[in-house]
Parts: sequence; C-alpha cells; structure tokens
Amino acid sequence: MVSLLKMPEALPQQLPRQSNPPPNEPEHVAVEISGVDFAYGNQQVLFDVDLDVPPRAVTALIGPSGCGKTTLLRCINRMNDLIDGARITGGSIKIDNVDINTANVDVVDLRRRVGMVFQKSNPFPKSIYENIAYGLRIAGVKKRSRIDEAVEKSLRASALWDEVKDRLEKNAFGLSGGQQQRLCIARALAVEPEVILMDEPCSALDPIATAKIEELIHQLKREYTIIIVTHNMQQAGRVSDRTAFFYLGRLIEFDATEKIFSNPRERQTEDYITGRFG
Amino acid sequence: MIAPKHILGNFDEALASLRNNVMMMSSLTERSLDRALEGLFERNDDLCANAIADDEEIDQLEKQIDKDGVDILLRFQPVASDLRRVVSAMKLSSNLERMADQATTIARRARKLNQHPPLAETDLIKPMYEHALSMFKDSVDAYAREDVDLGRSIVPRDDKLDDLNRAASRRLIQRMAEDPEQLRGYLNLIFIGRCLERVGDHATNIAEDAVYAAAAEDIRHQPFVPSA
Repeated sequence: MVSLLKMPEALPQQLPRQSNPPPNEPEHVAVEISGVDFAYGNQQVLFDVDLDVPPRAVTALIGPSGCGKTTLLRCINRMNDLIDGARITGGSIKIDNVDINTANVDVVDLRRRVGMVFQKSNPFPKSIYENIAYGLRIAGVKKRSRIDEAVEKSLRASALWDEVKDRLEKNAFGLSGGQQQRLCIARALAVEPEVILMDEPCSALDPIATAKIEELIHQLKREYTIIIVTHNMQQAGRVSDRTAFFYLGRLIEFDATEKIFSNPRERQTEDYITGRFG
Repeated sequence: MIAPKHILGNFDEALASLRNNVMMMSSLTERSLDRALEGLFERNDDLCANAIADDEEIDQLEKQIDKDGVDILLRFQPVASDLRRVVSAMKLSSNLERMADQATTIARRARKLNQHPPLAETDLIKPMYEHALSMFKDSVDAYAREDVDLGRSIVPRDDKLDDLNRAASRRLIQRMAEDPEQLRGYLNLIFIGRCLERVGDHATNIAEDAVYAAAAEDIRHQPFVPSA
C-alpha cells in the first residue's frame, strides 16, 4: 500500500546553536536580515529590509504604527506563518547562516530558539510552576528534577524567584501584571532560547513594573540576543544598544542608540524622535 | 533649513521662549559691556552705574533660563537637536552671566579711574574691546543662525585677544615702574584688560556651544596642531 503521507524531502533541520565568538574575533551577527520584502496578501508592508542584529545586545525597533516593525519581529520566529496570505516575498532571514524560511527548518525548534514575549502578558491558566514546565515537557523533558531545576533557574533569571518561590503551585493569574510578564519571560527562558523577541513588553505595565522589566532586559542581554519593539522612545534609549527606525515599511536608519537619539543621520529619524512627525 | 513644528505646540512655544530669553540676555549683556567701556573711555560715571545696575536683570534671566530649561527637560524629554538646543541655551546663559559680571567689574574699575586724571594708556584697551565685542557678537550670531562655520571661525580669534592683552599688560607694567604715582590707575587698566580677555573666553565658549547645538559636534579642547 502506498502511503498517502508524503515523505519530506529532508528531515527537519535543527538550527545550529550559537556560540560565543573566540576572544579576538569580531562578533558575528545573531540574526541576519537581508533584503526582506513581506506582504499580507497583495499588500506589501516591508520593503528590502537589511538588518544585522548583533548578538548579546539589545536592538530596539522603533517607528510609527504601521511601519512594519512588529511584522519584522514576527518574521524572526515565523509567527506570521499563522496568518493566511502573510509571507516573505523576497530576501532572507538567517540565524547562524541558516535561512529560517527554508522548508526543512523545524518551526517548533525555531520558536524554541527564538522566544517571544508579547504586548500583553499571556500566562497559561495553570500554576506558576506549570507555566514554565510546559515548554520543557513539550520539548520532551520528563525528569522531574531537571524540570525543577529549570523552573528555578528561569524564575531567578527573570528576577521573579524571590517573589513566587513559596507559591509555585498557585495559579499564574494571581500574579500582578508585571509579575505575569516576567513569568512569560521566564517561560521563554526555560527552553534556553538564543534570541528573545519582545513586542512592546511594558506597554500595559506601570512605571515600577516597567523598570523591573527594563532592568531584567539589561541583565538578560549578557546571555541573550534581544530584539524589542517599543513605542516608548525613552525606553528604547534606556534599554537598547542599537536602534532601528522604520517608516512605511522601510528601514530608514540603524545605528548605535546613542547616535540615533543624539544626532541621527536621517531627517525622518530626527523628525520622528523629536515629535515632529505627521 | 527650518525644522517642521512639533506635534506638541506647547513644546515649540517652550523652546521659542527659552531661545528668546537667551537672545534678550545677550542683548542686555552687550549693552552692559558697551556702557561699562563707554563709561571708561568717556569718563562717564553714570554709564558705569547703569552697567552695574544691568547685572541684576541679567542674573534674573540666567535663573529663568535655567528654570525653563529644566522644565523642558522634565516635561518634554527632548532628544537630538531639541536636547542640544536646551543644553546649549543653559550653557549660553551661564557664559552670558559671567560676561555681564566682567562688565560690572570693568564699570567699577572705570569709576575708580574716573576719579583721577586721564591716562593715555587707556587707549590700549580700545583694540581689545573692539576685538572682544566682535567675537561676542559673532558667537551669539552663530548661535542664533545655527551657523557652524561662523562658530568654528571664532575659536582661533581668541589667540589675538590674548596677544593684545599680553602686550597691553607688558606696557602697563612698564609704565607702573616709570610712573609709580599712577600705579593704581595702571593696575586698574590691567584688570580691565584681563576682564576683556575673559569676555573673549566666554565668547569662545558660546561659539563652541553654538556648533554643538547646530551640528552635534564637540569642538572644545581640540589638540593643538602646529602649522607646517
């Protein structure tokens, strides 16, 4: 009998893990975005975007609503695959020289490698512990001691451990908004990603919770590559090492954050960050 | 090129008010210097008194500019060219206030000189004053018009003022030895020369701040490169 299931041409490709560059070598690029065009159906929303995201640093994507920054962010872990008609129509996004849009890339593995934190915290309706353990179980980890270890490590890394260590079995919805967002970061960290995408992670938080997330971002960049979309210019200035300004689907300027906010090269960037737009 | 307006109209108004106060302060400082020096050259105590009285208004403007600048930083969190404009305005006001202090010192010294017979060596002060005043006017002009080239051109002009001051001081010290009866008078002229030399230093600071505001370039303390 002939199987109706089509055999894949190649086994899903595991992305190679990033490694620290040798001491005297220049830092390599964590995410290499080259000439990316993107469209929702017939509507093109990204045009020829080139962006080399440096490893273990924070890169902020800024720009007015509809400029394509979130679309680009969602391209990096192929979240746009979930939207009908949404597709990259040109160019490539490479992580460690592997084009993530080739058919043989395992999307589940990609999304483990490239974690994401959303605008609104979205914990699972489970206990704090299970929220973090879930990803590990999906990845096939069964040993309780290993899961316990990973839960504690992730909660410590997301600066939440001291606040929740005595109530791990409690429902995650009982946490404050800021704690829920840090739980979501801990959940992403549990599966040991290399890149963390953050889509306006503080937009629903008060200034104190925002400060905690920003401090966390500062700590996390020692080990992770972070790409953050934010509408808060001061936040971009505070947390990021490099900033990319987008307008109408095009990357207008990408430079050191200090340069962008003190003396941008492009007039459009200057007009946007100084509030002269529109 | 004129920058488009901010979306926040009161941000534009706050920046314009800050700039207007700086321009007002520079006009008053120039007038104060003028009065002090005219008081010296024309031996007019009233002009000297006016120069001294001007200082109060200039001091108040300095405080107002600092307050408004901090207020803008707090309320609008300016970045890029806006931030440079605010920082420069605050630094300018500090230099202008010190210039006005020099004008007050000159006026006080002039009043003392006016109590004694005129000294021919007062003429040594005239070229210094003209040079310092032109540096001052040009530096404020560079700030007002955001003229980077004009701002840059002012910095080397300070050397000539230093040379004029050195030459005048030498001559005045020589006269003190030759004519010890007028020693206090010559000493007052030396102090006035030093005040004008400091006016040149403040004009240089303003020019440097003007370049920073317009081009985000820090031209202070450039290493000396000897000409070939």
